[in-house]
Amino acid sequence: MRLLQTGRWITVIGLALLPAVYVRAISFTPVERMQGAAQKIFYLHVPAAIWTESAMVLVGVASIFFLFLKDPRLDRFAEASAEVGIVFGSIVLTTGPIWGKPIWGTWWTWDARLTLTLLLFLMYVGYLLLRGAVTDPGLRARYAAVLGICGMCLVPFVHLSVYMFRTLHPQPIVLKPSAPSLPGSMLATLAFSFVVFTVLFVGFVTQRYALSLLREQAAPHA
Amino acid sequence: MPENTPYMVAAYIVAAAILVGYAVLLYRRTLKP
Amino acid sequence: MLRHAWRLARKDLLVEFRSRTAILSAVVFTVLVLMVFNFGRDPTAVAAVDLAPSILWVTFTFAAMLALNRAFQLELENQALDGLLLAPVSRSSIYLGKLIANLVFVATVEGIGLPLFALFFNVRVVPVHGPLVGIIALATLGFVAVGTLFSAMTARTRFAELLLPVLLLPFMIPPLIWAVLATATLLAGRPLSEAGGWLRLLAAFDILFVALAFVLFPATVNE
Repeated sequence: MRLLQTGRWITVIGLALLPAVYVRAISFTPVERMQGAAQKIFYLHVPAAIWTESAMVLVGVASIFFLFLKDPRLDRFAEASAEVGIVFGSIVLTTGPIWGKPIWGTWWTWDARLTLTLLLFLMYVGYLLLRGAVTDPGLRARYAAVLGICGMCLVPFVHLSVYMFRTLHPQPIVLKPSAPSLPGSMLATLAFSFVVFTVLFVGFVTQRYALSLLREQAAPHA
Repeated sequence: MPENTPYMVAAYIVAAAILVGYAVLLYRRTLKP
Repeated sequence: MLRHAWRLARKDLLVEFRSRTAILSAVVFTVLVLMVFNFGRDPTAVAAVDLAPSILWVTFTFAAMLALNRAFQLELENQALDGLLLAPVSRSSIYLGKLIANLVFVATVEGIGLPLFALFFNVRVVPVHGPLVGIIALATLGFVAVGTLFSAMTARTRFAELLLPVLLLPFMIPPLIWAVLATATLLAGRPLSEAGGWLRLLAAFDILFVALAFVLFPATVNE
């Protein structure tokens, strides 16, 4: 199947480029003075976080269009985005604490990105559980769309809350994981990593979409 | 070695494991849907 | 639409209050939770007033979950949902009716729970009862609105009672946190204006999600 092949190729390209990101981040990017090597986790953590959140937007938008247009392709796309969202979310939720431990002294902190990602992760899990629990495909797609739209709408509220919480409770530690202004070479590494993560996201979603299509073709529903 | 290197290594390995792991999972699922 | 909604709500509420099992178990459950919280803490280590807002809100959240789990169960048990859908009432009326019924149920439990909470934890609620009731109303509307929508979906699934809390959890966390923060401000004797940000978030959440639920509900019941 063409779509599947395309997806596989894109994924392979992404995986092939990943070591290049690693090498660049580890050997060709300066070590940050205060955090040491741990700061380099940033180059994986941030692109993963961006895609975890963007995936929710994709799920939400696809869901809105699905409710209007009733095109099953939109539903398949939403399902694929949600699953890949969980994968990238796992990266954020594992690299985050590993980074946090040496820098903040604790495995978990309720900082903006981790809190939002945890919530997103829970929503993705709920989304997939709901899909799993409904047997009728038409109903399943509609229910998933409703949940997806609600999920997307929750995201701005979480951002707002975290922002407000921060302005009231300033971080006790001066260091922030995401420095607003990065030296050029760090920015370049981040950008490179983001491109590769994007390629991987696209490859994964394409394959996952193809998988849904294949399954439907193998056992067609009424 | 710069400080905190073990953490960096751990995180880099975990991230790679998740990405490669999912890629393999997808490949195997699409072989026999 | 309002008239239909009100009739539907009345029907649900009559069933609930006549049988009394639901409301009684919810109240008993509330008392139980409050008691456990009391015995679970070391009074010399943690002052009641520090934990109080969290305890109050966890209790209310559980009560809301109890109510929501039952929301569509009545219809499902008698397959009355199909009958309801065939009747000449708009989908929105059905949602509004359910919402009102759920709100009344939860409000009743909260109305009994709040004085009990004040009693058990020796919290001075009376001086701030006005704004406190306001905060409770805002937060409750938020999660019951979303919960009513979701329970329409989970009602037909196999593990409904398990699935509903899982789906609802991410949507309850933000309003819950805002409510706890606002309540903490109030109970600490600080002016309500300090909680302004959280209250605005609660209001915005309510407006958006009630509207969203109205718009999306038909998608959950249409054939």
